[in-house]
Amino acid sequence: MVNYLIRRLFQMMVVILLSSMAIYAIMNLAPGGPLSGINLGADRKSRLSPEEIRRIEEFLGLHRPLHWRYIVWLLGEDWLDEVGLKSLQRTSCREIATECTRGVIRFDFGDSWRLAAGQKVIDLIWFRLPNTLLLMTSATLLSLLVAIPIGIYSAVRQYSLLDYAATTFAFFGTAMPVFWFGLMMIFIFSGPRSPWHQVLGLPYLPTGNNFSLRPPQPGSLLYVLGATPGSPLDRAVHLILPTIVLSLLYMAGWSRYTRSSMLEVLRQDYVRTARAKGLVERVVIMKHALRNALIPIVTILTLEIPGIFSGAVITETIFNYKGMGRLYYDALQADDWPVVMALLFITSLLVVFANLLADILYTIVDPRIRLE
Amino acid sequence: MATAELQAEALLTVREESYLLIVWRRFRRHRVALMGAVILLAFILIAALAPWIAPYDPYAQNLLLKNAGPSPAHWLGTDELGRDVLSRLIYAARISLAVAFVVTLISQTTGALIGAISGYFGGWVDNLIQRVVDFMLTLPLLPLLLTISALLSDVTIPGLTREWSSVVIIILVLSVFGWMGSARLVRGVVLSLREQTFTEAARALGMSDLQIVIRHMIPNAMAPIIVSATLSLGTVIILEAALSFLGFGVQPPVPTWGNMLNNAQADMWTQPFKAIIPGFCIFLTSLSFNFVGDGLRDALDPRLKR
Repeated sequence: MVNYLIRRLFQMMVVILLSSMAIYAIMNLAPGGPLSGINLGADRKSRLSPEEIRRIEEFLGLHRPLHWRYIVWLLGEDWLDEVGLKSLQRTSCREIATECTRGVIRFDFGDSWRLAAGQKVIDLIWFRLPNTLLLMTSATLLSLLVAIPIGIYSAVRQYSLLDYAATTFAFFGTAMPVFWFGLMMIFIFSGPRSPWHQVLGLPYLPTGNNFSLRPPQPGSLLYVLGATPGSPLDRAVHLILPTIVLSLLYMAGWSRYTRSSMLEVLRQDYVRTARAKGLVERVVIMKHALRNALIPIVTILTLEIPGIFSGAVITETIFNYKGMGRLYYDALQADDWPVVMALLFITSLLVVFANLLADILYTIVDPRIRLE
Repeated sequence: MATAELQAEALLTVREESYLLIVWRRFRRHRVALMGAVILLAFILIAALAPWIAPYDPYAQNLLLKNAGPSPAHWLGTDELGRDVLSRLIYAARISLAVAFVVTLISQTTGALIGAISGYFGGWVDNLIQRVVDFMLTLPLLPLLLTISALLSDVTIPGLTREWSSVVIIILVLSVFGWMGSARLVRGVVLSLREQTFTEAARALGMSDLQIVIRHMIPNAMAPIIVSATLSLGTVIILEAALSFLGFGVQPPVPTWGNMLNNAQADMWTQPFKAIIPGFCIFLTSLSFNFVGDGLRDALDPRLKR
């Protein structure tokens, strides 16, 4: 096991290094470059001279040759002075030593260019991370709470009416474009003009954001519940629709996985033995079968973690939910490359670690499997 | 004795059925798949006949009639530049379906070839290709697609306008990140076929490796390839729509269901059908591709059934 882990960690480092290169190459080899559009639409007066553009480049560190830009992005620029490469540092780093970036490897992703110019990217991410974690956790919990019972039922009563209904639901779930589903949910349930409120007269949900800024209006669910802006209750109500939208796709997939895994286990001899011993069907299913059926689910769940994170890009964008997905979308819109690269890098870290976690969890839930 | 003779006689008179006929018979039994196929056929017909069906030019603006509601002249009203929504919807079917088909064709063909080479040659070739596939599968797909299309959004391909360049770029980007699945699939099939006698016979007859791969390996892997291609069509439809919806995909004025949905967002409560219909088209095509794929899986090879 220890040997295996050491080998795995080594492999992981190689993969992370490669993906950091890929991310960097994609961002920096694309035609144009970050300053290409800077004079677009500028009139004669506000047009920047080549000298000014050079100064901006030196300020942002774009004056370095491509390979040095990558090395600095990865390892930081604070050590450049010591090896006599002071000219490669950014202007601010040359003047104040504490302004130097310390590189992705030390979790310093540099400063944001546009979204929050001058702020550390890592601070932006730390600020957004709890929101995304909250959304991911609630969506995962909701989809598991729905998917596993559906999966069990479909397997135990295979080809029953409900099994067919679940199959159809799974197809709908996988084919559903998340962005449209999100918009439709907003249209139906959110805001005072929604049919939910207008036709049925029921309290409407907030259209977006993580919490309200103003006291709730009469007619809204927030008003009915008496939620004060910024309170946990207020945040929970804002979480309802994004959670439902984000969990739909996973519900569909996971109910299928549970079903097929459960079907396989129910065919096993030991299940027949358990029944032959005269155990109640409920015990056979919940205790003997389900435990084994959940083994593959655990790994699939772990492998989905990065997927949920990137899936949240669309959901968070539609609901204007201030998490990392929305940050990613905003950074792309604003050409804020340090933020984009940081988020891509973190996602690929997540993927690699999720893979390792899945393998380790596998040996824990199924002791028959040994990692060589 | 007598019955055995009768059966033997009956066997002689039974008409031989072609493989395609058997597949069609099995497929027909799958009601939902059949429905999906009919819906897709309708969409494909609409897309192919767009210039004859569409009541207006999808690009013709009528600034005197902006954001109009439904009327006898404009069944689904007009958009923010006074263009006929129904005509744009019809032409959007063209773009969305064409993108999906071209991407699937490119990615599945390259995937199949790469997979076949990987499985057939084995050794270091296989190892290298599989590591590349593993690596590409670790890359986060949606954020990466968004990033690349955002970066390439200013690029114009010589001879094309900016918005048509965006169509070509989306096709390329989606193809580059779409081949891994079919490569894995075909590799698996080829690994098992490689050891079979007919491959040995082909080699003994003096066929070259490439000929064996193209003439024997890929045709034998056709059933799973067709299934995966059909399912991939549904995925590509959604991905392209997502990119266009977020503003990084196909650029207006070229209509796709994704960017039409983006346009309709603003007036969602006053004219909801303008947001409901394009999204429903995306959903319906993607759902139909999924159903047809499932039906084909059962029809082409019952052993593949999940």
